[in-house]
This record gives sequence, structure tokens and C-alpha cells, in this order.
Amino acid sequence: MSLKKIGSFHLSEIIPLQWRGTPKAGGGRVQNTTPSGFACHPSNGGEFSSVQITHRWQPTLLLRLFTFFLFLPLLSACGGGGGETNRVLPSEVQATVSNYSGPAASTSDIQQFKLNVWDNLVGNDRCGKCHGSGGQTPNFVRSDDINLAYQQATPLVNLTQPTLSKMVTKVGGGHNCWLASPSACADILTTWIAAWAGGSIAGSTTVDLRAPTIFSAGTSKSFPESSTYFAQHVYPLLTQYCAGCHQANASVPQSPFFASSDVDTAYQNVLSKIDLDTPAQSRLVLRLGQEFHNCWSDCTVNAKTMSDAITAMANQIQPTPVDPKLLISKALKLTDGLVASQGGRFETHVIANYAFKTGEGSTAYDTSGVEPALNLTFSGDVQWVGGWGIRIVNGKAQGSTVASKKLHQLITATGEYSIEAWVAPGNVTQEEAVIVGYSGSAMQRNFTLGQTLYNYDFLNRSKLTNAAATPALSTDDDDEVLQATQQHVVVTYDPTHGRQIYVNGEFTGAADGAGSSLADWDDSFALVLGNEVSNNHLWQGTIRFLAIHNRALSLSQVQQNYNVGVGQKYFLLFQVSDMVQLPESYIVFEVSEFDSYSYLFNKPFFISLQAGVVPGNVALKGMRIGINGQEATVGQAYANLDTALTASNYGDKGQSISSIGTIINLQKGPQSDEFFLTFDHLGTQSSVRTAPASPIAATPVDLDPQPLIGIRHFDEINASFAALTGVSSQQASVLSTYNTVKQQLPTTENIEGFVAAQQMAITQLAIKYCAVLVDDPTLSASFFSGINLNAASASAFDNAGSAQLMSHLHNKLVGSNLTTQPSNAELTTELNTLINTLKNNAASTKTIAKASCATVLGSASSLLQ
Amino acid sequence: MSKSRWLIIFNLCMVFVGLLSTNTQAAEREQAKRLHDRLAGIPPSEALLSNMATLISNNRAVEAANLAIDNPAFYNITLKNWIAPWTNRDQNVFVPLNDFTATVIGLIRDDADFRSVLSADVLYVGNTGLGLPAYANNNNAHYQALEDGGFNLKTSLQATTQSAVTGVPTDATAGIITTRGAARAYFINGTNRAMLRFTLMNFLCTDLETLKDTTRSPDRIRQDVSRSPGGDSRLFLNNCIGCHSGMDPLAQAFAYYDFSYDEDNDPDALNGSLQYHANIVDGKYQINTTTFPYGFITPDNKWSNYWRQGQNQVLGWDKDLDGSGQGAKSLGQELSHSQQFASCQATKVFKAVCLRPPADAADRTEISSLVSTFSSNGYALKPVFAHAAVYCMGD
Repeated sequence: MSLKKIGSFHLSEIIPLQWRGTPKAGGGRVQNTTPSGFACHPSNGGEFSSVQITHRWQPTLLLRLFTFFLFLPLLSACGGGGGETNRVLPSEVQATVSNYSGPAASTSDIQQFKLNVWDNLVGNDRCGKCHGSGGQTPNFVRSDDINLAYQQATPLVNLTQPTLSKMVTKVGGGHNCWLASPSACADILTTWIAAWAGGSIAGSTTVDLRAPTIFSAGTSKSFPESSTYFAQHVYPLLTQYCAGCHQANASVPQSPFFASSDVDTAYQNVLSKIDLDTPAQSRLVLRLGQEFHNCWSDCTVNAKTMSDAITAMANQIQPTPVDPKLLISKALKLTDGLVASQGGRFETHVIANYAFKTGEGSTAYDTSGVEPALNLTFSGDVQWVGGWGIRIVNGKAQGSTVASKKLHQLITATGEYSIEAWVAPGNVTQEEAVIVGYSGSAMQRNFTLGQTLYNYDFLNRSKLTNAAATPALSTDDDDEVLQATQQHVVVTYDPTHGRQIYVNGEFTGAADGAGSSLADWDDSFALVLGNEVSNNHLWQGTIRFLAIHNRALSLSQVQQNYNVGVGQKYFLLFQVSDMVQLPESYIVFEVSEFDSYSYLFNKPFFISLQAGVVPGNVALKGMRIGINGQEATVGQAYANLDTALTASNYGDKGQSISSIGTIINLQKGPQSDEFFLTFDHLGTQSSVRTAPASPIAATPVDLDPQPLIGIRHFDEINASFAALTGVSSQQASVLSTYNTVKQQLPTTENIEGFVAAQQMAITQLAIKYCAVLVDDPTLSASFFSGINLNAASASAFDNAGSAQLMSHLHNKLVGSNLTTQPSNAELTTELNTLINTLKNNAASTKTIAKASCATVLGSASSLLQ
Repeated sequence: MSKSRWLIIFNLCMVFVGLLSTNTQAAEREQAKRLHDRLAGIPPSEALLSNMATLISNNRAVEAANLAIDNPAFYNITLKNWIAPWTNRDQNVFVPLNDFTATVIGLIRDDADFRSVLSADVLYVGNTGLGLPAYANNNNAHYQALEDGGFNLKTSLQATTQSAVTGVPTDATAGIITTRGAARAYFINGTNRAMLRFTLMNFLCTDLETLKDTTRSPDRIRQDVSRSPGGDSRLFLNNCIGCHSGMDPLAQAFAYYDFSYDEDNDPDALNGSLQYHANIVDGKYQINTTTFPYGFITPDNKWSNYWRQGQNQVLGWDKDLDGSGQGAKSLGQELSHSQQFASCQATKVFKAVCLRPPADAADRTEISSLVSTFSSNGYALKPVFAHAAVYCMGD
């Protein structure tokens, strides 16, 4: 086979020549300058290049060749259809085809019921198998009369709050779900019922607060005041393996100093790194076992060693109840909370929807309710994350080409669409990384939402692009809107405006201005998350939600969905009735799993569930969040709270306590972690807190012996040369030479940093100073008094002349009667060799004077201090 | 072999000879030379050397050191290059003289309370009559000319006030923090956190890394700080929060400042200027607000020092101050009145004249002594230079 011809096709026929288009002027990407891929907060400024339509996402010719050959077998196997890989894809649930022949729906509402619910459930693979005609009651999918089916269905649904429908809760509880995930079935049912309800759902975000079951905070292990147990079990490991960095006197000290040479100092610094209740969850252990942080041999073994040491320490500590001196609320678990409504999203045109609630298995379910379900199968390293979502580490989630056809069908029907996602890019260094794609390969795409550095990229196949859907539309380089943190991103396409990109509810300014037809879309492609279907555009990060709409969302609709947020939120009602001496009184937090490692506690407010109760003037100071019997060490954003609950600030929705949120470390998991609140002062009661021990300053450690002498730095050398020779440092040729060699001269006084290259620069400068000195009649007459520089060198530097020269150089450049400087005799011995060599080479008197001067001036006698 | 190569080889030999020679015991003349070398940066004249040696032999070594300090090179060479790295993020020494450098030199020259370097309404400019361009808010020509002209900084600087020259209200001045030089380096772009970080590095000798304390309340961490970098909140809870919980409530003091410049036509900000708008929080405090919408929204320039509690108490905060305030001036006082500030100046001076860091118990005792010298002399720095130089002048 020819490299250029494949069968009867010439390469240029397969790979459009325009793919090789060169980037536009100014289109070079600004590379990320952040050493690590992410940062706590965005970088800001310093980058000025900008381009929106970019020609990235174009495979190189070599890559294209490679990819083509890689896919050649697949092309054959698929009969020319692109994108289908040779792995097993999930089985598809085909749309149920109903053949209803009974009486017509007597009302429009019944017709809506039929279209949105009955049609979807009547099949034998769903509810029709049991709840059809003649089956078990309720017969809400009977086939004989839709009006009678409607009567049966009505008690099973809540059209105002579809999630509370009995039909939904029953299936969600595990009753004959037709998928492996009951929650997925429940979500799909909810979607259908919501569609039936149509505009009757207001999307309310309110929730009726109800009193939770009351129980008190449990016990847990607490750190003893003494560091004895720590010193016995854990400290030896830390000093042996961690002291190279985690102590104040390390060469590059890294806080916390839990390996301090003082054990009490180390103990104070290690408290937040040890989990006494679950030693294996200690940061000291996770840092080794999961994050591979400076393991001293095998990370797993080292983590086990550390865990064993902490366990041994913990075993010597008896569980203690919550500090009785603390003023605390009643306790709650996350699951005791009230589910906050997720309503209010604009989902009228959703055709594929992924909430990633399953949390296990290798399938992410499409809960849009639009058949066929475009479920995604994981391959490679794809992990579930807490609070709903998946993390792409080194894999992808891909749907079948068959199910993906619905995207082609439904989007090309409208000619417009939106991709909406909540994502957390894992870094800002990845380029041309596919977050969401509908493609056949890197060369054939319908659409792609991707990332390049700090930018979101949007590729859409249309009449205006090539088959690879390039050029991409990208967010502005300078804006750096993509950050390695959780973000809501929406890209829309419609024929009028073309492509547009929205991030966190705001239009980014990235837009085409005009669009075109989607007639060139290929219906044989597959929906894929986290990589290209050809596995060569990996994206790393977390996807917490994805919806595909077959309409372009408006800005207000984007903002509406952004404001709803992502993930399940709960209202936790911490009872404080006894302390505020008001009935049914609670401090309520909106709490959610922020990610796999923390909870978000947000927007606390005070409320009494008993009508008519209003607080008088209740002082509230120093509120902290407790977890598993102890106050959380990190994240106490309400510790400085100082407010009062008053009637004037209290309304129907209670009284807001703070507008900020904070995250708290997840410990045992959302099913087990038990929360409570503590207060420094609430109402008339106060906690009794023991003042923490004063911190102990780290004990200094002696450094290695340091040099007692140094070298002059650049400016000192220049000034010294000027002072010694009498030549002004502002003299033109001297200044010129100095400016030339300045940055080659020593910049610090550390003699250990002295290198030969610096001596080269010093010599050049010394020669220049001495040349100016010798050539200046006035200066030279003074400096070299008694020596005739215009005489022949043989006579000028005879024995007496040489001695005179040595004397001048020694007295004026070296200094006399200084034991730290070379003596005149030492100088004479060294310089005579030079002078004689030059005389033998017929050098002039001035040349010899300059050379001798420069030799001494540029030597250690002038440089050392 | 060329003459120049001969010279280089010869010079290297002389370096070796010089190193050997330094092993001998230093007497008064040697001590005097070292004093002068370290303080002025240049060798003394024979007459001055003899004079200093005599003083040393009469147990008046500090007076000898003061003679070296009197040399203009102490200002033009030693101080200028000592201060230069503080004026830019790269800690580059090859930077022009500016109002930051000149003001620090002036404060030292005039034996001012050096703690005022972070809070006073003070500015040092070149004397009138030197033919310099006038001080300008939007360029450094005045100081560039002062440096290029080789003027004696000991005699060519005169004190004035920022409020009179730059127009920044007196209450909004804060020593070098509100100089154009510092603003160009640390108020430019970004979020103004850089001003706090580099002030800590330059005047408290500590970077944020060693101040990390995850136990402080995060209630003042702004919205632009991700609580889940890369989707992993452990990074925030174990790292980011350690610095931001203390840094953000302090950096709030700079909420009304910015350094404006023409990004397109003046990318190096050579013609930018400090901006101060009273009671108006600069937009840079409200960037990336959607990164964590539940974070702190800066309403004003009220700062709080959360490091007065927790492990960073060891910095020795002044108990006579509140630990909170409004604006850069009071924050500058908070920082400069700490024990760490005094210790830091002593340590920096020690390194400058001993050419090495304090290494052992004796050196650490000397640092304590220098801190005492600093405080007992009204926090003037020249005596600290003199005493440190005497400590390192050799036996």
C-alpha cells in the first residue's frame, strides 16, 4: 500500500487541505506560567495575547496519518461509519412503540398524560408488564382506555412537585426499576411527570422546614494535652522521615512543622493531620498512601506504617464525649437534613441529561427521559466523586453510536443546541482536551466542548468549518475564564448567532456572530466525555452535571440554570431552643457534599418553626461547626461571628446569620458524619474555653560553618576600582565598559558563588580603569610619580623602576601594613614575572604599567572583603 | 599567549594568594579595613584607615565604624544595593534607583524611627538645584537622573511628604508601601495580595510559607480563591487556607489602591501611576467572584490581624496596638511594631555587613543585642550597622 494512496483515494481527498491552515497572526497561545497545574486562585495579568477563533485542534499531518491508519480497520468494520470503537458498548433501551387503539383522550391534560407518561411506561419492559390491562392495581398503564388509566395514575403523581410523586418514590426505592440504578429510574420518571405537568411547575426553590429527629452529639476521641502518646508512636516516624522539610530550620522549611526538634512544637502542629477515630484517614497517612508525598520507600507500606503508628497512639486514648464545657446544639447527620429543591432549572429542550447520581458501577445514566436513553459506559480510569459527579483521570465515558443518533436527529431537526455542564478542570495546563464530544475521531466531529489551558474551546461542524469542526471558538486568552475549580459552562449554537460560550452565568464574549447549517453532521458518531473517541485528547477533571438541549439557551436561561447550582443540597436544622429559650428554634444551614473530601456549609439562618415566635435580643457569638464529637480544626468561618437575633431582623424566613459559606473536612462519609454547632455565647449562656497554650518558637539549629569573608559585588567592585585608581566611575569609557560587564560581575557577596566568568568581567573592568589611569597625564603623573611612562620600558622598568612601580601599586591598590593583604615582596615576586615577560615581548612602558595595574587591581587584594 | 590571557591567569593566582593571606590574624588595621570594606563597600584611604585603627585600639570601634558610615559610598553603594532587591518581585539588584529606595536611604541617613518606613507620610527626593527632572507620579525620571548623575546620595536627598508631592491624602500614605516604586511592583495587576507578601518578605523576613496556619478562620477569604482547586478541596483545606485565612484580612488594607498603566502601549508600566480612591474598593478585589460565590466580599479597607492568635503569635505583635484598623498606614504600624520586624532588620543588617547569615548561638545572641541597639537608639538603623560591623570585624 502506498503511503500516499489508499485504495483509489488520494490522501488529500481524505484529509482536507484546509486542516493544515496556519494559525492567524497573533494566534499563538500564551503558555501557562503556573508551575503547578492549578492554583488556589486565578493568575491575574501579565498575559496580553488574545484570539478567539483559533486553529488549534488540528492534528498534524503525521498524527493524521497515524490516526487514519489506526482507524482504517474500524472504517472497514463499520462500513465507513466513523467513530464506533471496537469495544462493547451499552445495550440500548429503545423507544417503546405503543399501539393504542382505545377511546381518545377526553381532555388535553389526559392527552399530555398519554404522551409524556403513558407512552413511556406502557411497554412490557417497564410498568406495562404488571400494571397494564387486567394486571395489578393501580392500572395506570392500562391499554383499553387512556381516560381510565389517567384516573388510576392521578393519585400516584404530584404535578406540583414531581419528585414527591408516589410513582417516583416507589421506583426510586427499588421497585422494579428497569435500569440498574433506581435513582436513575426515579429521575427519568420525574422528568416525564414534569413534562406532563408542563407549565404548572413553578420551579420553586423553597422547602417546607420540618423539625428533625432530635439527638445529642456522640462521643469521639480527643487529643490529650500531653504529647506523650504522640512522642511514643508517631513522632519517631516524623523526625526520621519528615524532618528534612517539616521543621523550621530545614533548608527550605515547609509548614506545618510537625517534625520540629521540639516534640511539643511538633505535637501542636500535627493535630490537624491526625484522625484519632479513623487513623487511616489521617492526613499523614493519606499524604503517603494516596498522594505519594515523599514516601521513604514504598508508599503503600509507608502509609501502613504511619497508620499503624497513629492507631497505636489512638488506642491509648479513650473516647471522650463532646467537651461538656462547650455550648452545643443538637446533632444531625447529612441524611437527617431536608432535601432542598432542585427545581427551577430550564429543561424544556433537554434531550440528554446526566446528573451522575449513581455513585457506583460503570454506567452514567441519561435521565432526560428522551428515548433512547443515551447511557454512557466508563472505560479506563473514571471515578465517581462524592456529591454526584465523575472524575476523569485517564479514561472516558462514551455512549453507543446507536443511542447517540438521537442527538443528530433532534439537533439537526432544530438546527440549534446547547451543551451545559458543571465541570472542575483538573488543571490549566491541558490542551485540546475533550470535555464533551460528539465525534467519530479527532478528524471528524459534530461538536466538541474542550479545554486549552485557561480557555474553553467550542467546535461545531457546520458549513463554515471542516470535518474536524475547526477552527474552534475559544474564550479570550486574557480573560482566563477557565479555572481549575468548579464552573458552569454552557456553549450554544444556532444559525443566527453561531457559537457562543457562557461561563458561570455570564456571556464570555466568545461568539461567531453568525452560524450556518448543520447539514453536514454525521449520525454515526458517539457522545463521549473526557476524551476523544479515538483516545487521543484526554481531559482530566470532574464533571458533575451535563445536559444537552436541542435549543440554544438564552442568557437568562443560562443564568437560571447556573443559579440553581449542582449537587444535592440539604437543610440541616440544628436545634438551639434551650439556649435561646424559644420553642422550636433552629439554626439552619444549607449543606451539601462539596466534593469527595468536604462538605459545604452555607448561608446559616435562625428560625423558629412555631408560628408567632420572634427572638428578642439574643446574642450570638463565636459559632463553630462540630463533626463527630469535636469542633472541626479547619474551616471555622463563623468563629468570629458577633451578632444578635432580633425581632427587627427576623422575618418569615427567619434571620440570616451570615452570607458566607465554608467547607469542612469530610471524615467518615455523608452517611456517618455527625454534625453539631458550638457557640462561644448564645442567649445567656457561654462556653467555657481554655485558652490554648502559647505557641513555642522553634528552637534554632546551628548552620554549617559559614565563610567569614566575602567578595565585593558588582557595584562595590566598580566603586572600589574608582576609589583606588582615582578614575571617576562616570568617565565615559569606564562607564561604558562597566555597563557592558555589569551583569557578569558578582551579584552577591557570597564567596562560594564566585566563578571564573566573573573574573573575566572583573579583568575587563580593571584593564579599562588602568588604561584610563595610565593614559590620563594628570592621574598617571600622580599615581606613578617618579616613573617616566614615556620612556622605553627597559629603562623605565629597570630594577629601580620596577621597585618603584611595585611600591606604587602596593601602597595605592593593596594597602600597606595589612597582614590580610599580600606583602610588597609577594606582589613583587608575582609581578616581576609578568613585567619581564612583557618587556621581553617589547611591550611599551604604558602597556606594562597598565598590565601591572590591572593585575593588581583585578586581584583578590581588591575583591575580597 | 595573549596578554589578556596572561592577566586572567595571573589574577586567578592572586585570588588564591589573597585567600591564603586572609588566614592571618587581623589586628586593628585589618579590623579597620574590614569595617570600612563591609560598611562602605570600598577600601578606605590610608589616612582614614589609620584613624579608624587608632579608634579601635582605644576601644572605640563603633566610632570607627561610624567613620566608614560617613563615607558617601555607604549610601550610594551599600544601602542602595541592599534595598534594591526589595523593590521588585524578582528581587533583582539591577534596577534603577526609585522613590522606594531613596526613601529608605533617607530614613536611615536621618536616623529616623525606621518603623515609620511602612507607615509615615514621607518621601525623599533629590535636592533642588541638582538639575533633576521634577518628581512625577507617572515616571521615574527624577530618580533615574539622580542615579545617572552619580550624585552623592548622602547629601543629595531631602525629606518631604508624599501627600505634598504625590497628592495621596496623608491618611492614605504608608511609607514605602505607597511609593510609586512599590506600587509599580506590588499593586500592579493582581489582587494586591503581593504587597502584603513582599512586605512580609522584605521587612519581616518571612514568606507566607512559614506562616501557614490552617486553624485560622477563613471568613475573610475572598471569592476568587477556589475552595476546590482542580476539584479537590483537600488542597484548599490543607494548603490554600493556611495562607489566605491570615493574608486576606490583612491585604484588605490595600483595598483602595491600584497601579494603573496602559497595558497596550506601555506594557512595562514605565509610565503608570499609583491610584488611590478613598472609600472605593478597587475592582481587583472583586474579580473571579464566581470561583467561590460564598466567599468574602470586600466592603472596605478594614484589616484584621488573625495571626495575633495561633502559631504566629511568635512574631511578637505589639500589645499596645489593636490588631485591626483601616487602611495601609495602620497596617504598616502593625507590621513594623512587631518584634519580628526589629529582628528582621537586625538580621538583614547582620547579613549585609557580616556577609553571611547568623549561624550559631553567638550570632543569635548578637542578633538579640542588635535588636536592643535598634530599640535603644529610637529604631535608627545606622547604629545597628555600626554594631553589626564591629561584631564581624574580626579578632
